[in-house]
Amino acid sequence: MRIGILTGGGDVPGLNPCIKAVVNRVADQGHEVIGIRRGWAGILQHNPEDPESASRHFLDLSPEVVRTIDRTGGTMLHTSRTNPQRVQTESVPEFLRGAMVGDGPHDYTDHALRVLEDQRLDVLIPIGGDDTLSYGQRLHEEGFPVIAIPKTMDNDVHGTEYCIGFSTAVTRGVQFITNLRTATGSHERIAVVELFGRNSGETSLVTAYLSGVDRALISEVPFDIDKLSAFLVEDRAKNPSKYAILTISEGAQLIGGEIVETGEADAFGHRKLGGIGHITADLIKERTGISMIEQRLGYLMRSGSPDSLDLMVAINYAVMAADLAMEGATGRMVALRGGTYTSVPISVTAEGEKRVDVDELYDRSEYRPKVRHVSGKPMFLY
Amino acid sequence: MSGVLGVLTAGGDCPGLNAVIRAVVSRATEHHGAEIVGILNGWEGLMDGRTRPLDRDDVRGILQRGGTILGTSRKDPYVHGEGYESVRHTIERNGIESLIVIGGDGTLRTALKLSEDGLPVVGVPKTIDNDIAATDYTFGFDTALSIATDAVDRIATTAESHNRIMLVEVMGRTKGWIATYAAIAGGADALLIPELPYDLDTIAGILKKRHRQGRTYSVVVVAEGVAPPPGREVKNRLDAFGFERLGGVAYQIAPELEQRTGFETRVTVLGHLQRGGTPTAFDRVLGTRFGAAAADIALAGGDRVMVAVQGDQMVTVPLEEACRTVRGVDETLYELAATFFN
Repeated sequence: MRIGILTGGGDVPGLNPCIKAVVNRVADQGHEVIGIRRGWAGILQHNPEDPESASRHFLDLSPEVVRTIDRTGGTMLHTSRTNPQRVQTESVPEFLRGAMVGDGPHDYTDHALRVLEDQRLDVLIPIGGDDTLSYGQRLHEEGFPVIAIPKTMDNDVHGTEYCIGFSTAVTRGVQFITNLRTATGSHERIAVVELFGRNSGETSLVTAYLSGVDRALISEVPFDIDKLSAFLVEDRAKNPSKYAILTISEGAQLIGGEIVETGEADAFGHRKLGGIGHITADLIKERTGISMIEQRLGYLMRSGSPDSLDLMVAINYAVMAADLAMEGATGRMVALRGGTYTSVPISVTAEGEKRVDVDELYDRSEYRPKVRHVSGKPMFLY
Repeated sequence: MSGVLGVLTAGGDCPGLNAVIRAVVSRATEHHGAEIVGILNGWEGLMDGRTRPLDRDDVRGILQRGGTILGTSRKDPYVHGEGYESVRHTIERNGIESLIVIGGDGTLRTALKLSEDGLPVVGVPKTIDNDIAATDYTFGFDTALSIATDAVDRIATTAESHNRIMLVEVMGRTKGWIATYAAIAGGADALLIPELPYDLDTIAGILKKRHRQGRTYSVVVVAEGVAPPPGREVKNRLDAFGFERLGGVAYQIAPELEQRTGFETRVTVLGHLQRGGTPTAFDRVLGTRFGAAAADIALAGGDRVMVAVQGDQMVTVPLEEACRTVRGVDETLYELAATFFN
């Protein structure tokens, strides 16, 4: 059996251990693993008429090749946000341009299926977030065997309680916030810490909950800047060290405002978010006269090595996906449900959106985490 | 002298401050039998009389803690007050005979003025930027450098995964010490520091050459104080000492590099993360040496001097000399980093 594997979307800690574990699980059964480089872009950009170019897009993964990859962060296969069913005209490879119709975006699924056949792949394991996996679902619908592994630092893939990368992002967030306390306290300021998290406020919420910051703004609940400023002034006054810390999800919005987006949309239609922390800090300063510390954690949350929990889940998901592949049980996504490792139909990812249960975990009027009940909740509370 | 010694910390937070305070207090009280008055919130406390007595027990358990138990501020008696007159009451009421001032070049210039106005002072150089003249190292630099290097290491894995250029902006107002050391330690592919003018086309050329050779990602370390690209500006504000508060120049450079190379370019600004957290072993030792030496010198009647480390020796240098110039990165060090830009 020839098993293809790829990583798509943003890199998270745990991808390399995941790739390594798939390879090692199937190698002694005589199966081969072929790494596809740069996510779905490796498939889109491969021209079957030009076999010489295959080495640019595909890589044979033996246990020898992957022996040391788990010692570094990132993904040895590299990644992209390319989605073959929505390719912008400027991203269409040269050899496909001849048959291009219309202004785009273009659907190159027929080409993708041809490439998978050309590479004699029997099953494909995409590791990614909802965007990457949505194309896995598409290939599954087209009849190609797929087994999906969910990863995102936002933990927002529908159908699983856990995605690879979340724990490390929170671990880092908590650590960085702790490190900012002395600088913020020394100057008696208010710190605004902007965290990654496009639509789901989970990362911001859980980081805030664990680090005990004064207030936390999440994407799901628009905020009133005057009320927020008053809270922070009060928090700062009550703190014996005379400072306050606010976390803000990059997708957060002012009441009546809009998500702050900058830059061009990527192939998935995502724009680069960011900037709301800066805007909010300026508005608070304007209202309170207190000096601010602005800190965007950004890539620092999801780059580098995984913590032990992400290592655990990455390896276990890999083992499960490899076993499913060898059993021929495809069209599945490996998942955690009820705290137990399992798999679900890959179509589940498209059946809903995974969002923070705001009423259970957040106080809308106080702008801070408030966990109503813990008993009965999954390990990560949602 | 066996009288009362004042101690204060001013300016930005810096890992190792508590190690210095602990050494000053322990050395002065245990070794010399002197009394120590801690001034709270930097010069502000000296102006408004907020002080607390400190003994050995007050400084137990603080060695490894970030921040400063005394607090700090950016107030300055010569900017926000009447100079010596605005601190005289605190000095006299506490019987302070000599003041140990732990601060960066702005703070040390204020200390020099106080000394000229009649208050004996001993300075301890404090800045993560490592740019104070007359000392080889300042405490806090090693911790900031460790944090920056760690970030470069991690960011490199993301840069490679996404085939991107990643700019890592580190502190360094007018000098690129953290940037240069982090670039060498982290194996950066390009380095921009305030000491040297840079040419975006040259840098883009280096990065494009890497790309052609199959190394389809790059990490560029940028000191916050480099000039923005021509035609762009970074909005700056002046702080109480008249220093520009920098940060964000990498956001101006990124689109220029993206445009010249055609590679996706992203920015990480480390900002205050570099000041936070636990000091490294090196900074704890250096801070302890500085603090003990400052107490010895102040109690021996030293005035208008700064403690410094030169080679492996603790020395004193005239405060004027320390304040006169800022020390930049030696060009040979930049060239060493540049050896690996390929």
